[in-house]
Amino acid sequence: MTDTPTLVAHRGHAALWPENTLPALDWLINNAGVMRRDTLGGIHGDTLEDLYLQFRVNSVGPLLVTQALLGNLHSGSKVGIVTSRMGSVGDNTSGGAYGYRMSKSAVNAAGKSLAMDLESRGIAVALLHPGYVRTDMVGGGGDVEPEEAATGLVARMDALTIGTTGRFWHAKGQELPW
Amino acid sequence: MAHCLVTGANRGIGLALCKLLTGRGDHVIAACRQSSPELDALGVHIETDVEVGDPDSIDALAGRLEGQALDWLINNAGVMRRDTLGGIHGETLEDLYLQFRVNSVGPLLVTQALLGNLHSGSKVGIVTSRMGSIGDNTSGGAYGYRMSKSAVNAAGKSLAMDLEPRGIAVALLHPGYVRTDMVGGGGDVEPEEAATGLVARMDALTVGTTGRFWHAKGQELPW
Repeated sequence: MTDTPTLVAHRGHAALWPENTLPALDWLINNAGVMRRDTLGGIHGDTLEDLYLQFRVNSVGPLLVTQALLGNLHSGSKVGIVTSRMGSVGDNTSGGAYGYRMSKSAVNAAGKSLAMDLESRGIAVALLHPGYVRTDMVGGGGDVEPEEAATGLVARMDALTIGTTGRFWHAKGQELPW
Repeated sequence: MAHCLVTGANRGIGLALCKLLTGRGDHVIAACRQSSPELDALGVHIETDVEVGDPDSIDALAGRLEGQALDWLINNAGVMRRDTLGGIHGETLEDLYLQFRVNSVGPLLVTQALLGNLHSGSKVGIVTSRMGSIGDNTSGGAYGYRMSKSAVNAAGKSLAMDLEPRGIAVALLHPGYVRTDMVGGGGDVEPEEAATGLVARMDALTVGTTGRFWHAKGQELPW
């Protein structure tokens, strides 16, 4: 299964993945993501490649995984996208972090379009900010343990309905601005 | 007389911006991949072989413009491709990446490369689109275009924050649905009318209003 997300992301279409023997899915949580650092003036070479990497994994990845698994979703299914408050343009008062912010703003846009496109099929979509979580991705920084973040994210997924589709939530419950 | 650089200057909104600015006495540097008879006819300073999706061509432009102070930088160049959920693979997926490279990364890299030409009081305009407004998206679809415009809005907001201490203001600008080649001649606004609104927004822009998203007609738009 290790290679499955890569395979799906590259092929991008369920019909091209005949070995898809997954059952019906009630929840699809797009959680995989990467973070790289950059600052204005230094966005070239490897740093520019990292910016594209973040777009490919953080923005296009969830879109292609969801597209590829559409056949496994049904009316009542829920799609969660673990994005970040760093992708909130309205909330950005500190600047910088171009590649990460762009990738998370872009996946928020994709998630909103998914919500609109899947509403008629009864599939709800939520954009979810987990908090600043103590993981390898942030080098062990963070002020929330993964278990606490997961508890909040699952609570948001539990609460998600077609009536609240296409919105952006903090794991702790408050709605976030785009 | 302001020194203004416009990308995507050979046609559409970019050409109309160059025409308007040169007509009021500003010094225009028109950057584009290839010039056009209409752009040639304006008699402005033209820089060709500028492909905003290609970092090397941006660096080359910056090299040619070294020492040229810029009062306005208008990142106008952009592309649009269509897609729908279920069909995002192969060439359509390549088009999604193309839109990100040109529409999102292009303005960031052009602005970064020309930072040495900007000074306190300079203004950076980014021609984005209301299609990149997540709050305004009630119709779905258009994944690649929307993602590219939301991403450039994020980049523009970070540029605004990072350049504020240097006295450089940044605006994200929606031109309207403009009758250009990019939308296949559809649209309900002529390029000249859009350019008039965009220039009015740039005229009004100050560091006090930096980092916001405006319709050419004047109202503020949601992210």
